[in-house]
Amino acid sequence: MTRRPVPAHDVVVEARDVTMAYGDVDVLRGVDLDIHRGEVFALLGPNGAGKTTTVEILEGFRRRSTGDVRVLGADPERGDDAWRGRLGLVLQSWRDHPRWRVAELLAHFATYYPDPRDPAELLALVGLTDQAGRQVNRLSGGQRRRLDVALGIVGRPELLFLDEPTTGFDPEARHEFHLLVERLAREEGVTVLLTTHDLVEAERLADRIAMLVGGRIRALGTPAELARRAAAQAEVRWTADDGTPRRERTADPSQLVWELHRDADGPIAGLEVRRPTLEDTYLHMVKRAADGTDQAEDEEARAA
Amino acid sequence: MKGTRVTRYRRAGLQRGRIELRQLLRNPKELSGHLTNVAVAVAVAAFISEDVPGTGIPMAHLTLAGFAAYLLFQVGLVNLPQILVTEREEGALLRLRATPGGIPAYLIAKCVLVVATAVGTLALLLLAGAVLVDGPVPRGAAGWLTLLWVTALGLLAVVPLGAAIGAVLPNPREALALIMLPVMALLIMSGTVFPITTLPVPVQQVASVFPLKWMAQGLRSALLPDAARAAEPAGSWELPMVALVLTAWAVLGFLLAVPLLRRAARRESGSRLSARRRKAARSGAVPAQG
Repeated sequence: MTRRPVPAHDVVVEARDVTMAYGDVDVLRGVDLDIHRGEVFALLGPNGAGKTTTVEILEGFRRRSTGDVRVLGADPERGDDAWRGRLGLVLQSWRDHPRWRVAELLAHFATYYPDPRDPAELLALVGLTDQAGRQVNRLSGGQRRRLDVALGIVGRPELLFLDEPTTGFDPEARHEFHLLVERLAREEGVTVLLTTHDLVEAERLADRIAMLVGGRIRALGTPAELARRAAAQAEVRWTADDGTPRRERTADPSQLVWELHRDADGPIAGLEVRRPTLEDTYLHMVKRAADGTDQAEDEEARAA
Repeated sequence: MKGTRVTRYRRAGLQRGRIELRQLLRNPKELSGHLTNVAVAVAVAAFISEDVPGTGIPMAHLTLAGFAAYLLFQVGLVNLPQILVTEREEGALLRLRATPGGIPAYLIAKCVLVVATAVGTLALLLLAGAVLVDGPVPRGAAGWLTLLWVTALGLLAVVPLGAAIGAVLPNPREALALIMLPVMALLIMSGTVFPITTLPVPVQQVASVFPLKWMAQGLRSALLPDAARAAEPAGSWELPMVALVLTAWAVLGFLLAVPLLRRAARRESGSRLSARRRKAARSGAVPAQG
């Protein structure tokens, strides 16, 4: 994946110390975010971590308790129609317009925007040309989601929100979807904010990942950076001369493998090096939050 | 720029209304609901043989005029809230909220749909009545004019009110039950299908508060000869009162509908939609998906 340097001033989403409380419950405890133009940014976190609240604040669907937010240069709470036209939304819970025909629905939503995409080209882009005349409620789950994506980008949004976009997709549909998102980001410069549970998807698509746990961003960086940040070390596995499987954890797998080869003076059977993964980092973060490592800190904050 | 945007939204709204109307005409289930109303009204009229008391006018004419009023009432206060609640549940309202100009276009489309449905069923009822059971037709130019303004004002009285109700009702399953009971009570109390003077005076007084009685009375004045005034409580059509009560309901409806619809649209978000869907799936109303 190629990463282009992003000029610092081209910030599409900017959040500073955003908090959200429902009654006594603090859902967000000071979230900071910077998302740059053309970037695919993934927001990860367990259920209840505040992902949905964060995204809905950015979408202008929810009022924050405190903090500053700018999305495409405007405060989402005061976003007007012109501002709204520059956003695209793909939510997982949409089952709307069941009786409309696919092409008809897409052509209808094109009429709201000043410079829409061509509906027929868009259907081809999301692979629904053969379903153009079909009624929306007769689409499969994956087709329905691809239609949602088409509806989300028909107005040529600068910023696209994707909420758990590939839930329920088969591997092939997921692959196709990933290619589509990459194409939008790389070729058309669309900024994408992706929320997902799927770590593989986040790693595959995202330029940067933020992990939201307990109402705060606990980790932020490229997938590789985050993976490295895990306390976990790389694991080297091989089969010893007597046929028993062996495994060893090390900070320097290259050194270990070299030593193994030197000792064996030849190939090593069943050699495998497992780098720490994004999942290791993620589980580590979530576990630390659950363990109460952060609890003391939060309680201090509450007492203060 | 502003001008072109407004034009675009209006065009989108009219297009949406046209498409939804076509879907209604192609949906046998929904269409048969409207047609059944007309069929029932005509069948009832065919079985009534007596005259309006104290006159030589067939009771069937009074009944058909009353059913005509009820059709308008039902489109505004039963069909419209149901459509609004269903579309909110499916997420159409949220999608339109996320679309520039989506909410104005939605309202335009619903107006197109409601007016077309109401006028269509009304015309069908009068036509079927006239052809099949020698039903009433508007009496002269004045009759047509009265039919026109009572229909228009009647819709204005019930459509905004129906929109307000649709904005607050919890879900499509409960919505129908909550609406139908009072609507049926009003149908009986308002003297729509038999002379209201046969009802006890307190019932007549309660019915006088609500628009259905006045819609029926206004349509009777358009469709029945003046001799039928003998069966009216005041001995006259009371058209100024018809206009006054319906206008009052129209104003009240608008005052309620605007903030309630705005609130309903503002409250929509993806998480609320999913939460409601999970709840509905748990109660077994819709199959769990995704």
